[in-house]
Amino acid sequence: MTQHVVECQGVSRTYQDDAVPVHALRGVDFAVGTGEFVSLAGPSGSGKSTLLHVIGGLDRPNEGAISVDGEDINALGDSELADLRLNKIGFVFQAYNLIPVLSAQENVEFIMQLQGVDAAERGERALGTLDSLGMRDLADRRPGEMSGGQQQRVAIARAIVTNPVLLLADEPSANLDTGTTGELLELLKRLNKERGVTIVTATHDPMVMGYASRQVHLRDGEIVSE
Amino acid sequence: MPLKLLLQLSWRNLWRHRRRNGIMVLAIALAVTGVMLMNTLMRGMAAEMREAAIDNLTGHIKVIHPGYMADPGIGRGFEPEQGWEQALADVPVAGWAQRVRVPAVIMSERETRGVQLVGVDPAREAISFLGSLSVDGEALSGAEDRRIIIGATLAEQLETSVGRRLVIMTQGADGLNREAGYRIAGTYDADSNALEKVFVFTGAQTVARLLESPAVTEVSLRLESGDDIPLALAELGAVFEDLDVKAWQDLEPQVASMVLVADFGLYIMYFVIMGALVFGLVNALVTAVMERVRELGMLRALGMRPRSVVAQVVVESTLVMTAGVVAGLALAVVCYLPFSGGIDLSAFSETMQMMGVRNIFTPRLEVADMVIVFVLSLVLGVLASLYPARRAVKVTPLDAMRR
Repeated sequence: MTQHVVECQGVSRTYQDDAVPVHALRGVDFAVGTGEFVSLAGPSGSGKSTLLHVIGGLDRPNEGAISVDGEDINALGDSELADLRLNKIGFVFQAYNLIPVLSAQENVEFIMQLQGVDAAERGERALGTLDSLGMRDLADRRPGEMSGGQQQRVAIARAIVTNPVLLLADEPSANLDTGTTGELLELLKRLNKERGVTIVTATHDPMVMGYASRQVHLRDGEIVSE
Repeated sequence: MPLKLLLQLSWRNLWRHRRRNGIMVLAIALAVTGVMLMNTLMRGMAAEMREAAIDNLTGHIKVIHPGYMADPGIGRGFEPEQGWEQALADVPVAGWAQRVRVPAVIMSERETRGVQLVGVDPAREAISFLGSLSVDGEALSGAEDRRIIIGATLAEQLETSVGRRLVIMTQGADGLNREAGYRIAGTYDADSNALEKVFVFTGAQTVARLLESPAVTEVSLRLESGDDIPLALAELGAVFEDLDVKAWQDLEPQVASMVLVADFGLYIMYFVIMGALVFGLVNALVTAVMERVRELGMLRALGMRPRSVVAQVVVESTLVMTAGVVAGLALAVVCYLPFSGGIDLSAFSETMQMMGVRNIFTPRLEVADMVIVFVLSLVLGVLASLYPARRAVKVTPLDAMRR
């Protein structure tokens, strides 16, 4: 029996847009097994990013149940949800979202600092991860001193350095050129294959979809095909 | 969130907006400097007024007849028992003096004035302004001296001078008038013209002979420390059971009120000036937080707890406040030092005397006040940051990152 890292049952999410209800998710049933590389695909407004956000605990569903690594997200308060994101989920955002006042190494160490990992181990793991992504030479640079691709690599290093059970990537290629996107996807694939990292991406980029081992298509808040 | 990380992030964030934070630090520093310098003036003035009140024959404590304040005269005199001062064995006393002070009329060939005739033992008057008077002519030689010294201003009013004779008329204990003629040994120059006009000094025995009474009207004490006043009051109260034993604050209530106002003046000035400044600080912090709301949302998305975000905003605000206050205090010290020896206000002599302040006015910068301002500022810095911090965490991480 496959172990599920993510399980969604009947998940609905409705926003109010100028008093008009927008149904971003409509009773979605969805699960991700350990070690899977899943791509949530669909046009803008299909609900792929919303599904990624509710899985990551950044948003809460109006209805339905979600569990991540066995933890019921609906039962968690804001601080407990923050702890879940800190300890079990790695995020890669479209806009990199590095901390501008910290160097690449410090950005990678940031989550470990929040977790209370001691300085020596933090430094070793951060540099090791940057090295594995070919970024060790840029460890002292701040985000403003790096290209988009380099920043996204640092963001990935930050996301995986703590060995999360789940890596969520929201439109990771949106701001990258084709060459850099290819490198990034190779990197994600390698992490998935070699380190067994479970990855879920939300994208409308066919190139990203092509690298995933499983594609889930959404339209109007519903899963239409797999 | 580890404190080191909190401080690191906060410190570096402050340097991202050097100009804005620099202006804020400068504004706080100038406000603190202003508060401290105004406070040094108020403290100095209060100290001057207190010292002047104690010097002007009041002392820290005075023993008088219960009816003397309402009806001063030898009829309200008393005779202290020999060795009464032994009761103050537990209190360090700088000195004490027994005096006869009665209202009198003084006459020259040309003018007449109402004065206070004070019989003193000059050897005991180191505790009052009489001990440090500048006298033109000769000072009194002892309690037996039959001459008088009068104020230079009174001498002008009476159109008289050293060596000439004056007639003093007062009332004895029997209610009958007494009068005698006295030669002027010298004229004194006090800090206050009011003192020069009022007090006429002669030997205590001379006044006793004039009034035909061995009684005194007051015993004045100066303690080594004003902090011992309550203890001394209690001990003297046991000795002079039928008399009033009063602290200088009771004898000079207006001065005591002014000193009290000066004590609270720091807080009043601080909250008026810094209170206004806090609105600016809150506004700057709200702007800074809203500019970084996306970044703060990202930190929360990565797993930073809401309270850690609050802590970061609070620490940043506190750092700005601390930098401003430290700079302000340092500037206040720099501005104060050249005047720490005193400011010559002789050009405004009349006005300053009306306020009970001497010609050389010494501002006072007290470490305790600096500590109070520092601590209050830290508290204010934390309070000022709570609203912006609350706004920062009211936005969900997702909403913040969408901005």
